[in-house]
Amino acid sequence: MKSTQILGGVLLVLGCLGGTSGAAEIKLGAAEALTGNASQYGAPIRKGLELAVSEINGSGGIHGAKLALIFEDEQGKKEEAINVFKKLIFQDRVLLLFGPTLSNSAQASDPVAQAAKVVVFGTSNTADGITSIGNYVFRNSVTEADILPVTLKIAGQKTGFKKVAVLYGNDDIFTKSGYDNFRKALQELRVPVTTTETFAKGDVDFKPQLTKIKASNADAIVLSALVAEGAPIMAQARQLGITLPFIGGNGMNSPRVFELAKDYSDNLWVGSPWSVENPASENKRFIAAYQKSHGALPDQFAAQAYDAMYIAAQALKRIKFTGKLEADRSAVRDALPVVQWSGATGAFKFRQITGRDGKPAGYDAVQTAIVMSTKDNRYVIQK
Amino acid sequence: MEWLDTFWSTYSTLVLTVGTNILLALSIYLTLACGLLTVANAAFMGIGAYTSALLTIHADLPFLLVLSCGALLPALVALVIGHPTLRLSGVYLAMATLAFGEVVRIVILNAEETTGGALGLNGIPQRTSGFDVALAVGLVLYALRCLACSRVGRTMIAISQDEVATELMGINVRAYKLLVFVFGAALAGLAGAFNAHLTFFISPSEYGFERGVEILTMGVLGGTGSPWGAVLGGLLITILPELLRGLGHYRPIVNGIILIVIILYSPRGLWYLVRWARRSAQPAR
Amino acid sequence: MLAQQFVNAISLGGVYALFALGFTLVFGVLNVLNLAHGAVFMLGAYAALQGVVLFRLPVLAAIVLAMVVTALAGWALDRMIFAPLRARQAPHLAPMIATIGVAITLTSVVEGLFGAENLRFPIQMLPSEAFSLGGAQITSLELKIIFLAFALMALLLWGLKKTRIGCALRPLAESPKAAALLGVNVEGLFSATSIVAALLGGMAGVLIALYSNAVFPHMGQPMLHKGIAVVILGGMGDIRGALLGGFFLGFAEVFSVAYVGSTMRDAVAFGLLFAVLLLRPEGLFGKAEQRRA
Repeated sequence: MKSTQILGGVLLVLGCLGGTSGAAEIKLGAAEALTGNASQYGAPIRKGLELAVSEINGSGGIHGAKLALIFEDEQGKKEEAINVFKKLIFQDRVLLLFGPTLSNSAQASDPVAQAAKVVVFGTSNTADGITSIGNYVFRNSVTEADILPVTLKIAGQKTGFKKVAVLYGNDDIFTKSGYDNFRKALQELRVPVTTTETFAKGDVDFKPQLTKIKASNADAIVLSALVAEGAPIMAQARQLGITLPFIGGNGMNSPRVFELAKDYSDNLWVGSPWSVENPASENKRFIAAYQKSHGALPDQFAAQAYDAMYIAAQALKRIKFTGKLEADRSAVRDALPVVQWSGATGAFKFRQITGRDGKPAGYDAVQTAIVMSTKDNRYVIQK
Repeated sequence: MEWLDTFWSTYSTLVLTVGTNILLALSIYLTLACGLLTVANAAFMGIGAYTSALLTIHADLPFLLVLSCGALLPALVALVIGHPTLRLSGVYLAMATLAFGEVVRIVILNAEETTGGALGLNGIPQRTSGFDVALAVGLVLYALRCLACSRVGRTMIAISQDEVATELMGINVRAYKLLVFVFGAALAGLAGAFNAHLTFFISPSEYGFERGVEILTMGVLGGTGSPWGAVLGGLLITILPELLRGLGHYRPIVNGIILIVIILYSPRGLWYLVRWARRSAQPAR
Repeated sequence: MLAQQFVNAISLGGVYALFALGFTLVFGVLNVLNLAHGAVFMLGAYAALQGVVLFRLPVLAAIVLAMVVTALAGWALDRMIFAPLRARQAPHLAPMIATIGVAITLTSVVEGLFGAENLRFPIQMLPSEAFSLGGAQITSLELKIIFLAFALMALLLWGLKKTRIGCALRPLAESPKAAALLGVNVEGLFSATSIVAALLGGMAGVLIALYSNAVFPHMGQPMLHKGIAVVILGGMGDIRGALLGGFFLGFAEVFSVAYVGSTMRDAVAFGLLFAVLLLRPEGLFGKAEQRRA
């Protein structure tokens, strides 16, 4: 009897030791659009996040603890985003969460995270008014306000345009926000605008607007659109005999432009921190790994998601976990702002901005833009 | 009770949305009960939402006042356009109200200075509480109950059955239709005001065709014969996606199929199914 | 620029008219606002795309495939949804709600199978010859669309007046009971109408997918929007109305972009709609419903 007791005791102790060493799991949440129209952006984000998680877990995790990423589908709708955020925060009790996919949803759901004091890390939200919600809101998606002036300047130097026409989607927060930033940048660079035209999401015919633009004798067309509309716009413009260069926001930075507007995709100028052609070693490694596991080239959404996970991992590595959720979540928020990382999207660090009330709020991304133009179905980096 | 706390933290928005959806479904029940097929309720919701949100953001008025304005302005708009529009009937009325709804959405979209345009209005303080919504729903249901038992209510049913006959009896059918249309608009506006102060952010795209179709679906699915139909419809449409969450990718497909099945087997709406079940359960008289 | 905008207006009008033909047919005969027409339209586009990509069919064969697929969908829609609801004497809004469910289901299935992003036809398939007419460019595809819209309208009108089936459709729409008493095969005709309407929708789907070179699951939604506007303008249930409504809307949209400003385009279109409804609710060609006491 005594020997069984001793054996039992030894096994118990061994069991406890075994338990504490490898069983720890770090729960993270991701609320992305996995169905619905926005899933074309949510799907690559998911792939980027998952690729990073498998790489991090494969090389030792966070001091031995593995990352567990819980995905929820927010369908690209703001009410769903709120519901899903609440579920991840209060039911799944995650340490921090990524997402949501659309800026519209973020405006509604990020306040929930802020109030609950949980870090929300956006990888694809670029509109204004998001990081100003509060100091638990982070994003690594560079805003158009930072990139567009650079794009315009370099494109202007290389193509020599004197006056431009502007075309943008006026019913979508992303394209409208892009337009506002373009207009500000054009004013600062003192470039006259010959005509400003709009389209709506889901339009299939842009010839009336393009005809008007052609008649206005502009030297270039500034386009704030996502690829879904942007590619047909370019194709129809070329069919109408318009050979002008297009200058796009980062919505047009996608290899899908070559599929969708094939033969018509040349002479598009885009600025973004990420380029599929960027020869930096971290980028090449990312592209190779992504192609291997998903059989297709990544796009900007995937690249930013991938880097976001690594940035979060850096912060997690510096924290001492106490096991108490509130304290740990607070520690994440304190560790994240000082992270500096060099990933697929290049050198990265955070910059805190001030909120509406003048107090310090959330964190935007600081990265340098790469300006590219398209030629023969490839992006060519312009210096 | 920790369980209740967690439940409320996770699902409070959902529960409150059930409330606002019930109000929306009631707004269309009201017009359908009078035989009017109007699809402008999404636009009235939008007017109510923007009015109340702008008042809160710029003037910081007390919530009750803001809610009242959110219900009042759509009612006034309904009064103005109701006059010419209600001459139409049937599908033509539906289409006219749909067109009107689109015009409202476009106006909101283009009035950037005031409404923020496509960028929407954000930072709306969260003022909606369960108590407010429950009270509103309760009051409306009570009012409708009183209406159904009154002469006004019976007149409305008569109009929906046979307009010409009712008119021949000397009833001012136009006035009744207008009353119902305006009241429906006020309800939709109230729901919009509640919703705006629940989700921090509103944008014009939420008050377009899809929302209009959703409201109609709630009304018809629940059953147009009784206000309880609207309650059922609002409840079902709101919680169904949540119930199906576990289905992942198949969620929208199952959602669509459930809609089809319900309508196929209970074309008069869920309320009739409930009533039929209750009747069958009673002993034969 | 005027010449080009004129050409733009005609080709856009042709696109809208093509979509509206099937839509108005279902409303005119079955008395149902078929909100699944956009999804059927989308189905046609995907069927043709898969035909080309998977089976390497030439363009014409792909269009025929699309028509077969959507005709089947139209038949299924009537058999499984409209007919049972007719048998149950459902209130007249019930079929419309059912079509909403069908649209959601079809769109989600396609999205699940093919993803939500835009797909396109291989570049060889697109006719790229553009003709120059008085300073304006027009592609052969646009010409085909316009021609088809007119040809189909003529065909349908001829069919409605001259064939036995066509002649039976009008009394059927007025009163199915009376038609049944007169020996008309009511259920069969309803089925046939649904099939033909879906077929038209599918054809429109392929052509418009080629025109805009974009195939995506939600492509039916904005078209449905415009389709509703077209049939209101032209008169619900009237074939000529669908065509003229389509061209009217096309012109209204193009010229409001060209001369008013593109932000006001939708406001002009819907404002016009609203005005037409108030002044002439039956549309340009519809017949006013009259109830006499």
